[in-house]
Amino acid sequence: MDERIALTVSGQEQTAAGVLDVGGELARSLYVHVPFCFHKCHYCDFYSVVDSGDRQGEFTDRLIEELRFVSRFAAPLETVFVGGGTPTLLGVAHWRRLLVALGECFDCSLILSGDGEFTVECNPETASAELMDALVAGGVNRVSVGAQSFDERHLKTLERWHDPASVGRALGICAAAGIGRRSLDLIYAIPGQTLGEWEEDLEIALSVDSGLEHMSCYALTYEAGTAMTARFERGEFESAPEELEAAMYRRTVERLGEAGLARYEVSNFARGDAGRSRHNLAYWRNASWLAAGPAAAGHVRAGASGGWRWKNVPNVRVWMAGVAASGGASPVIDVEGPDRARALCERIMMGIRIDEGLEFEGFLEEAGRLGVGAAMAAAVEEQVGLGLVVVEGGRVRLTDEGFLFADGVAGALMGAVG
Amino acid sequence: MTIPIENIRNFSIIAHIDHGKSTLADRLLQSTLAVSEREAREQLLDSMDLERERGITIKASAVTVEHQFEGKMFMLNFIDTPGHVDFTYEVSRALTACEGAVLVVDSTQGVEAQTVANAYLAIEQDLEIIPVVNKLDLPSAQPEEVALEIEQVLGINTDDCIFCSAKTGEGITELLDGICRLLPPPREQVTDKTRALIFDSIYDDYRGVVVFVRVFDGRLTVGDKIRMMGIGRTFTITELGKHRPKREKVKSLGAGETGYVVAAIKTLKDVRVGDTITIDHSPAEEALPGYEEPRQMVFCDFYPSSGGGEGGKGAEFDTLRDAVERLSLNDASFTFAPVHSDALGFGFRCGFLGLLHMEIVQERLEREGGVEIIQTAPTVSYQVKRTNGDIIDVTNPADLPDAGEIDELREPIVKVEIVVPMEYIGDIMGLCGDRRGIYKSQMFVSETRQILTYEMPLAEIIYDFYDKLKSITRGYGTMDYEMIGFHADRLVRLDILVNGVSVEALCLIAHRDTAEKRGRAILTKLRKAIPRHQFEVPLQIAIGGKIIARETIKAMRKNVTAKCYGGDVSRKRKLLEKQKKGKKRMKNIGSVEVPQEAFLAVLEQGE
Repeated sequence: MDERIALTVSGQEQTAAGVLDVGGELARSLYVHVPFCFHKCHYCDFYSVVDSGDRQGEFTDRLIEELRFVSRFAAPLETVFVGGGTPTLLGVAHWRRLLVALGECFDCSLILSGDGEFTVECNPETASAELMDALVAGGVNRVSVGAQSFDERHLKTLERWHDPASVGRALGICAAAGIGRRSLDLIYAIPGQTLGEWEEDLEIALSVDSGLEHMSCYALTYEAGTAMTARFERGEFESAPEELEAAMYRRTVERLGEAGLARYEVSNFARGDAGRSRHNLAYWRNASWLAAGPAAAGHVRAGASGGWRWKNVPNVRVWMAGVAASGGASPVIDVEGPDRARALCERIMMGIRIDEGLEFEGFLEEAGRLGVGAAMAAAVEEQVGLGLVVVEGGRVRLTDEGFLFADGVAGALMGAVG
Repeated sequence: MTIPIENIRNFSIIAHIDHGKSTLADRLLQSTLAVSEREAREQLLDSMDLERERGITIKASAVTVEHQFEGKMFMLNFIDTPGHVDFTYEVSRALTACEGAVLVVDSTQGVEAQTVANAYLAIEQDLEIIPVVNKLDLPSAQPEEVALEIEQVLGINTDDCIFCSAKTGEGITELLDGICRLLPPPREQVTDKTRALIFDSIYDDYRGVVVFVRVFDGRLTVGDKIRMMGIGRTFTITELGKHRPKREKVKSLGAGETGYVVAAIKTLKDVRVGDTITIDHSPAEEALPGYEEPRQMVFCDFYPSSGGGEGGKGAEFDTLRDAVERLSLNDASFTFAPVHSDALGFGFRCGFLGLLHMEIVQERLEREGGVEIIQTAPTVSYQVKRTNGDIIDVTNPADLPDAGEIDELREPIVKVEIVVPMEYIGDIMGLCGDRRGIYKSQMFVSETRQILTYEMPLAEIIYDFYDKLKSITRGYGTMDYEMIGFHADRLVRLDILVNGVSVEALCLIAHRDTAEKRGRAILTKLRKAIPRHQFEVPLQIAIGGKIIARETIKAMRKNVTAKCYGGDVSRKRKLLEKQKKGKKRMKNIGSVEVPQEAFLAVLEQGE
């Protein structure tokens, strides 16, 4: 992605201003993307740049400008999520400025009172007490630590270079700083990984921090354009067999369930309702959220006909220049305007992934308005027949088996939309 | 200026592919005419892009030049011939218009399979042959050895052998003199009635059909009302001419001459190559000996690549149809009929003289017709003797009658001549044996090479025989084949079953002994190309209802994206929509979604 693409959308430069000024609802969620990394992990397809430190000041200046601009379209914030990249790679001084600005621009009262959620993604090796104290002072009350694996061999396959022992240390620092809500990310179905090794990873994760309230367990995905995929396509290794991957998933659901972490989304597990990621639930429930930082995506609902989606230009230099030039509005790409059928498809695709599923009457009614009510009812019935979904308590939900085939179910229901 | 008939020479140049025929032709024209270096660079006789690109001559054409020899002016009518295995028929019809042939052999390669085949064609026509050993300029040239091969293998006296280099021009004057000196003039007229042999025809967008003729008796004049003796149709000559090599109109063409005729003929179907032209009001009693009709031996289907569509035939099909119809105006030896396949939609089943002909037609359709084509694997034309005694041709295995109605299933057999270096003889014999070849003879071409003759089913050759031959012999082996007839054999129809349902588009005819191996190879391809379903999918091969092989596509165990967050919504939705679209293009067979790629994996050419 380069400058040219960002500047020639629809033949002219398009900015977040054009999308946000259309009068959609005020958002209660905010996503901030910090693109810096030490090193580009081979499986990762999030936008990142290897940081040499010298751009952090200018980056923070621009980010603050952007936050000031987008805050005009925000209701009192319920959730904030800072992801990356590696947000904890941003220097403490920059963080302090950023958090102060955030508090000035937005109404953060819910977050500061503890009724909201403010998550920062944390790399195990960059969690310092100083940084955590600064985050807590700024309202951060949740961290998501990227452990990925506790096995050095598998970390190496992923091109992750942290010491597995640093995960426990990082969680300890966070806990000590007063960050009460802590989550851990793991990856499974890594080439060469056995079911036994994965079970071992799960055990370590469950014992590393007694206060852990959330885990995300992702099957390794070969995303287009990543080094991992290139290596896979060159035949450097074999992907995990489908059977093994499915077995690992089943085992994950079972083991984490035993430990009190219940699945509430395909890959997410939490201790009780309070442990769930409210920010991510906002995505899955198709709520509105604002975006800041290069490559951050946003969504603002605009009535029954769906909403606007966009993505900030995924290039730090172009993003900084654009934000500076427009007084805070990032150049954007992949803009999609309201479209009723598309909105329904997104509602299905995201909503089916969570344990609460879809509100049946509501989405059937919407299908009816689009003239595909009968087809949708038939598609749901077919999936029920296949044992992949159940209709219960007025909601359509995936069954245990259905969680393994969520894409197939989503595809079938979306197919009914036409 | 009138040139007397005794100073006219009609001849062809014949050669194995790449032995330098076209370069030699250019050099001859350049030496006799004011053809510039630049014009010569473009090989003049090969008018189509494709021919030039592939370095082979497809369509015969005729050029007239003049050459001074021993103080007399000679008219040389040079009839070009294609140089490849599939076009034996075109070579033979060009040779019928000649009295002599120039047989070109590469001095670095020696006698090859098509050298032999073409030389025999010339000998059969009683032509005088001038052997020419070409490419003297190359360091590895072995002219004496090659001349010896010509004498030994073909029994052609090489006393008058001409050594030349078409590239440098060495020996070209000797060759032109040799053509005047050694080749006979046209035969005496045997009747005063006009008789001209049609040896080629092309379609021209502006003038309609242009017919190439050799006048044997009498004379053709502009304004004559002519009659095609075979077809019985009459036309009025509007233009006569010669290519020198630029087109030049003439008022008439006399006995012994070669030229072209334009007579407001609308389509190539109104002309039959091999037919005799006579004058309508004063017709000859008997036509000249004609040619055999070319016979299509290799068949395959062409479909538009974006799919003939489920519902309608679609714009792509229309483009393909236009292209096929236009091409058929130019190439009468290619046949086509509409076909519909469950898997690939609407297309055409086409017949070709051979494999190269098939490839050329496909490329021309894509290039000149602007249509992308999916081509199915080639099959041959089978002959079925039914139990009631009827004999029918079957070009599509799906049309084969039930086993109970078949008395005999016959397949085309060809005689194959293969020239190979000695060290590969064993391997090539092994290959021929594997392909059900029957050994006929073995002969030395030189101390280091032999010519092997086998009789073999054409079906065994159209797969990858030529590629195998080339790879075994590191490119040195050459081959040629000709049809010799149909033989009955233990041939069976293989049915392919997906989840218990037979897929007509994939059925094929194979020899009983190799049927299982063929079937297994197809199952392996299908297994890889059909995505997993939520249930187990058996793939089977059956002969006459009996299952002989099975593979299983295991049930899908998961189909879920691990990560799906805010930034993934648009991308993920597009991905699912793409899958949905892909699904619509799949064919549902026995509740299994079979993608078009699966059909292609089995049907398409090559591995």
